[in-house]
Amino acid sequence: MLKVYVCLLLLVATRIAGAFEVFACEPEWGALLKELGGDNLQVAVGTSALQDVHVIEAKPSLIAKVRRADLIVCSGADLEIGWLPQLIRQAGNPKVASGPGYFLASDQITTLEKPTSLDRSEGDIHPQGNPHFQLDPYRVLAVAKALAARLAELDTAHAADYQKRLADFSTRWQAAIKAWEAKAAPLKGRKVVVHHLSWIYLEQWLGMEQIGALEPKPGVPPTSGHLASLVDLTKNSHAFAILRAAYQDPKPGDWLAEQTGVPAVTLPFTVGGDDKAKDLFGLFDSTIDKLLAVAK
Amino acid sequence: MNWQGLELSILGPACLAGLLVLSTHVPLGQQVLARGIIFIDLAIAQVAALGVILAQYFGMDEQGIGVEIAAAAAALAGGALLTWTDRKWPDYQEPLIGTLFVLAATGGLLLLANNPHGSEHLKDLLVGQILWVSLHHLIGTALLSAVLLAVMWWQRAHLAGPLFYALFALAITASVQLVGVYLVFASLIVPALATAGLSGVRRLVVAYAIGVAGYVAGLVLSAVLDLPSGAMIVWTLAGCGIVGRALLALRGHKNDVAAAARMI
Repeated sequence: MLKVYVCLLLLVATRIAGAFEVFACEPEWGALLKELGGDNLQVAVGTSALQDVHVIEAKPSLIAKVRRADLIVCSGADLEIGWLPQLIRQAGNPKVASGPGYFLASDQITTLEKPTSLDRSEGDIHPQGNPHFQLDPYRVLAVAKALAARLAELDTAHAADYQKRLADFSTRWQAAIKAWEAKAAPLKGRKVVVHHLSWIYLEQWLGMEQIGALEPKPGVPPTSGHLASLVDLTKNSHAFAILRAAYQDPKPGDWLAEQTGVPAVTLPFTVGGDDKAKDLFGLFDSTIDKLLAVAK
Repeated sequence: MNWQGLELSILGPACLAGLLVLSTHVPLGQQVLARGIIFIDLAIAQVAALGVILAQYFGMDEQGIGVEIAAAAAALAGGALLTWTDRKWPDYQEPLIGTLFVLAATGGLLLLANNPHGSEHLKDLLVGQILWVSLHHLIGTALLSAVLLAVMWWQRAHLAGPLFYALFALAITASVQLVGVYLVFASLIVPALATAGLSGVRRLVVAYAIGVAGYVAGLVLSAVLDLPSGAMIVWTLAGCGIVGRALLALRGHKNDVAAAARMI
């Protein structure tokens, strides 16, 4: 029995020593790390597309993964403020608590909707801007460049490989952006209603106009007055879709769809959000296909 | 199977938090069960949460000791209210507790219509995540638990009326923030329920044993099966309660047989 344990321990120890370990807070960064790192990295993803990343349940394995990580990659802009600080504190791993081992995607880009004043009455706002920027392919590319540089800096043995993979990813990604933009041209100027305010980057990229939200103040349930005006607005301004993420409760969107006849669309929102969104390319393919399907 | 979460430094603080909660809740749970007011912990926790929301509504800083004091003050006020209703309408104490629970919960929602940041506190206060427990939380709770236990022991003959409700309010306010309302409920009720029929020190010892076994098994299982710890512990506590009850019944049966044999 003891022998078995020793063997297991050795096995685990060699596995740990072999690969550069990364903890990704969200699936989109896990997918990006796979593009940039391939077999050089051992990637653990903390959340799934079917979870609300603002809040997660504490599991012992999460702490263990952060404890072993050489690098953590998260969206930042306070998206994970409810759990990441505790997770890092509890893991007690100085490598990822700050400095180069602590990579926030939001530090690599400019965020939208950065409030000019911090007014509590506006809801659960993020003072550092809207953190749901994974649906803007240009921002994803900017994050990819910074992340590849960070990987090369920390895992010097594979530095050349990270740069090579970044060049390859960036060529494929830019070609894909062109294809997506051509395909999504009919969406330009169309109006949408959203559930949570998490689609601004996608809307801005594709030229869609957001006319209202079911949850106008993030984290606060809507009032009946707001819903009544939203029904009128949705009908009168010819919105073509009500957008929601795979993890969100379908009831509010279905209710509005029933009241207005405008279809509610469940978009994957991140990698793993539906069958097609297996990687970053699939995520954008699926998102645009689903939007086009109701835009006709 | 997942062995990487099985580390003392990860599970240790959570286990300590569980033991601290059990220390006060096992004896209090027996009182709660005897009085048939099992939903009082939910009501007091909600009233404490309402206190936090109110404090923020009036502009109190969301971090720091002020919020703790607001929660404790609200819980004590809730306890005082329940003491009064217990005297005035003893037959309706349970439905009154239920009503207080929904009023406090929905009162929070009404106040939060304009203060969304309170919702995070409300959630923390109710769901509380046992794995995020930190040492400075534990020190405060350990001191409070020691004081509460000392008062309970000292006043063990008079643990009724206002004193019970005050002790209960303080214990619940601290423990709910530490481990969440589901675990608080389970820690109160399951050991007391499993040992119903026993009495005195024997009951306390068996109840503590069931509680400790439940917490340890739950934490280990949550690590191995990679499941949320709080919810897992609730189930292992219930499992240990059932096993404990079955063992007690078995012993009782043996004693009956022995007594019957002596009779013949």
